[in-house]
Amino acid sequence: MLASLNWLREYVEITDTPEVLADKLTRAGTPVEFITYLGEGLNGVVTGKVVEIKHHPDADKLWVCSIDTGSGELVQILTGAQNVVQGAVVPVAVVGSELPNGMKLKKAKMRGLESFGMLCSAFELGLDAKLLLPSQRDGILLLAEDTPIGLDIKDVLGLNDVIFDFDLTANRGDCFNMLGLAREVAAITGARLNLPDFTVREEAEGSAESMAMVEIQDSALCSRFSARVLKDIEIKESPAWMQKRLRACGIRPISNVVDVTNYVMLELGQPMHAYDYDKVAGHKLIARRAVTGETLLTLDGQERKLNESMIVISDNEKAVGLGGVMGGLVTEVTAATKNVLLEAASFDGVTIRRTSRLLGLRSEASGRFERGVDTQLSFNALNRAAFLLEGMAACKTVPGIVDAYPVSREPQSINVCPQSINRRLGTDIPGKEMAATLGKLGFEVSEQTYGLRIVVPTWRTDVTCEADISEEIVRMAGLDNIEAHLPCLAVTQGGQGIVEEVQELVRDFMAAAGFSEVINYSFIHPSSFDKIGLSREDGRRQAIEIMNPITEEFKVMRTTLLPGMLAAASYNIARQNNRVAIFEVGRAYRSEQLPLKEFPVEKPMLCAVMSGRRNELNWNEQRDAIDFYDVKGVVEGLVTRLQLKDCKFVAGRSPYLHPGKSCELEVNGVAIGCFGELHPAVHASYGIGQSVYVFELEIEPLVESVKYVPQYRQLPKFPGTFRDIAVVVPNEVIMSDLMEVIEKNAGSLLQKAQAFDVYTGKQVAEGFKSIAFNLKFQAQDRTLTDEEIDKVIKHVIDSVSAAFAARLRE
Amino acid sequence: MIDKLQALKQQALLDLEAVSSLEELKNLKVRYLGKKGSLTEILRAMGALSAEERPKVGQVVNEIRTELEEKIDACGGLLEEKTLAEKLANEKVDITLPGRSVKIGHLHPITLTMREIKKIFMRMGFAVCEGPEIENDYYNFEALNLPKDHPARDMQDSFYITEEFLLRTHTSPVQARTMQSLEGNAPIRMIAPGKVYRRDYDATHSPMFHQVEGLVVDKNISMADLKGTLELFLREMFGNSVKVRLRPSFFPFTEPSAEVDISCVICGGSGCRVCKNSGWLEILGSGMVHPNVLAMSGFDPSEVSGFAFGMGVERIAMLKYGIDDLRLFFENDLRFIRQFK
Repeated sequence: MLASLNWLREYVEITDTPEVLADKLTRAGTPVEFITYLGEGLNGVVTGKVVEIKHHPDADKLWVCSIDTGSGELVQILTGAQNVVQGAVVPVAVVGSELPNGMKLKKAKMRGLESFGMLCSAFELGLDAKLLLPSQRDGILLLAEDTPIGLDIKDVLGLNDVIFDFDLTANRGDCFNMLGLAREVAAITGARLNLPDFTVREEAEGSAESMAMVEIQDSALCSRFSARVLKDIEIKESPAWMQKRLRACGIRPISNVVDVTNYVMLELGQPMHAYDYDKVAGHKLIARRAVTGETLLTLDGQERKLNESMIVISDNEKAVGLGGVMGGLVTEVTAATKNVLLEAASFDGVTIRRTSRLLGLRSEASGRFERGVDTQLSFNALNRAAFLLEGMAACKTVPGIVDAYPVSREPQSINVCPQSINRRLGTDIPGKEMAATLGKLGFEVSEQTYGLRIVVPTWRTDVTCEADISEEIVRMAGLDNIEAHLPCLAVTQGGQGIVEEVQELVRDFMAAAGFSEVINYSFIHPSSFDKIGLSREDGRRQAIEIMNPITEEFKVMRTTLLPGMLAAASYNIARQNNRVAIFEVGRAYRSEQLPLKEFPVEKPMLCAVMSGRRNELNWNEQRDAIDFYDVKGVVEGLVTRLQLKDCKFVAGRSPYLHPGKSCELEVNGVAIGCFGELHPAVHASYGIGQSVYVFELEIEPLVESVKYVPQYRQLPKFPGTFRDIAVVVPNEVIMSDLMEVIEKNAGSLLQKAQAFDVYTGKQVAEGFKSIAFNLKFQAQDRTLTDEEIDKVIKHVIDSVSAAFAARLRE
Repeated sequence: MIDKLQALKQQALLDLEAVSSLEELKNLKVRYLGKKGSLTEILRAMGALSAEERPKVGQVVNEIRTELEEKIDACGGLLEEKTLAEKLANEKVDITLPGRSVKIGHLHPITLTMREIKKIFMRMGFAVCEGPEIENDYYNFEALNLPKDHPARDMQDSFYITEEFLLRTHTSPVQARTMQSLEGNAPIRMIAPGKVYRRDYDATHSPMFHQVEGLVVDKNISMADLKGTLELFLREMFGNSVKVRLRPSFFPFTEPSAEVDISCVICGGSGCRVCKNSGWLEILGSGMVHPNVLAMSGFDPSEVSGFAFGMGVERIAMLKYGIDDLRLFFENDLRFIRQFK
């Protein structure tokens, strides 16, 4: 809401500077976001009369004007504008004056003649073209002919004003007008509030009742509908003072009747509408629900399709306006209008809000109705409008107001207890002081035995309980005056839950393992599932869809973190990172049933992607590319860190993984995720031209094992003995099968067996490989002898040979 | 005999001086003092001496042996030192070449900021509570005193899943959930961190961002407690010199409501681009829990009161790390993330 400081001064005396006042208002809950000084940089431009005007002798398009600026001497000024005539009053930038664009006027010579200044257009004076009448937009700004000469142009055009831009909160509908803001200023500064004049002369013949009718068909949509009849209308420009104020508040002056309705809306907060009385069939206005299929040509020339969620104003025959949002074109007030039917109504905010959203039509009026308009305002508004138009000699007012007000709204009263308010605020404000503060804000307060009885003014629909009153008290007393204090509370068990703890632990592990953390959006593009190659039947395609996404990019909730991770990897690979190792801990969203009927499952997941070189470029490190065993190593490390006991790595069949390099992690026999090399088709679909390794695990199945407290085992007292064996087996034999046979046949003395070398090449036959194992033997009670171990080794070798047609490699 | 011994000694000392390696020294020792060494030979020849001469010569032999042994050992010590020094000198490396890298990952600045916020409140005894990101209308709005079609719902343009379900627009629904789970049993001291979603996407708005919500409910909780708690938090977060200011505001779920500003952490309050020359930065929203909200969640507003607050984690991270573009948080550029430790 824009508010003119000069206009505010009409209702309340202001002695503070604009900055100080803005700060006071902000601290009291009516925040001023910006302060604009109109006419900034405009100095010394005065009004002047064109006494004589003639062609420049040497230039067709130039005019030589003699201007009287009241200084006693005529000034010669040349202009190229073609709209200047003798007798016109115009803004004159004399030598030495300054314009908002930074120009400082000097004497100039044009085609041999001297010009002592310049005549100004509206634009040159810094006026916003949008806020001007069409006739004022081009050429030199012509002022009213009765404008006195020698005046500072800033005073004439209202450019000596300061504009406050208020960022009002949604609950303070009462402040969306000058009087409401003035009331706040008065309450804060202690100044007196002066109300505007509402007296109407009512000089026309007849009565409103006999000339017009109003009716409310649905009181849920419209709680009050009042109207006045104005006769003998003379449509013209509104006076300069009114245009100034409208412009200052960002509204374009149009004509006296329309300007007055806007003026009263800005002044009192009551949106109004003026109909051409003679075009309203039956001179009757009905507020009713629109019929689906009904159409209305609105003031902006657009045909609007209405439905029954909207409020329509109709006459006896047709819709004439979209209640509270915009009027109809047919009954619009025009230059030919003779009589006016003036409306002041209260429409239901919720309905207005829906309608204006549905039609994409927001207006000053709809914004005010959404926040709530005081039903008690309509008479004041109609009277004020009539008063103003009578003052301009633009109409004669027909006596009386027609009013439909089915359910009269009475002021609410609240009983409050000052002690309880002080308890809430942590203050010690006496009840009498509270009463005085509330009085200044328009509340009627009476002291009772239980505390205070407060009658809430009708414009304060936001105040309904003691807590609301406490806010009024504290915003006036100043939040700064509350003495800070720490709460005295019983000791409670703080901290965070185990799932959160494990997520933090996982993050720390991943960072320590060299991965950097990313955060992706929770919503993804629906095509992501194709990009990662999920089959039609894959459950992960059952994604929860957003009804109103910003873009397709953010259309469905992710069921896996992988698409986001691959996009992030692709982004970074494209930016010359030769090693990308990233992870994310976040939720995946799954629902058995779509559309959603119950809360979906939000599963915390860990997803990681690595690609590129194993090491950063360094003189003493190898430049090998990351491979399957890097990613497996990270998963193994995590398993160790989380103390997972019953877990198994089994060959996987994930659709987005390389079929030969895909593995699943099973915990207690249930797969909780998979890892491996990304299928080449998938990394290509993300525009990545190199191998990518990924894993994604559910976090919740990892939680239980983290709680395990390690139990100490005695350290061995006797040394262990190490033996290596290498066996040559067909290529298809996998290490874990060999290991199983070794472990089964090595007996209880075997402490640990590790594969430490895998070899294919010249030394072994084609189709075969050699795997070398290191076996550690140890006993708790003695040092083992070579003979004992030789016996075990022989048995192991025999068993392996028998099981795999393997032979010992020499 | 004695002359012979003296000559032998002189020769041995001369030889010793010429020794340049441990190997030579070992040979020398064998040559003179070994089983077949010169001195031993002389000792063997002592049998031919008279009984008077024998002890004398024996004494001389022992003296010479002791002296030679000492000198040889001393020489050995020096040689060992010298050899070691040479060996070490040969092993010298170029210490200016970089070491083998330890791979260090980086946590996201949002995680780091979130952890810091959580830590401060956990120290004050707050419990960390989580709630669903896909919320229903009841918890996201109605239980927070935002009935259907309340104009304040416009403040938080929402992503809807169905008429009933939406992406939570704030972490405040966790307040209602926590209160309801406690069935009217105060005290409550909780924070709820997490992701929230609003239908806004431009240079200064992200459709997904992070918030931390806080709630304290007990007997006699006042606005003064709110102020004290938040001042303490903000001092822990931004340093003891930070100044805190409360401004009246409006949230449907608190009454009275207040925006909390801190003195600008960039310019210290003198005015800069970040604080738009005001010297103050809006940092969180807060207020006394609306009696309707307490009542709806099973607490008697005439018995207990409470305060609540909510803050944007991105905002705090931006101020803390001097980040000037919100979009960086979700672009996931490693050149950005690697700046945070």
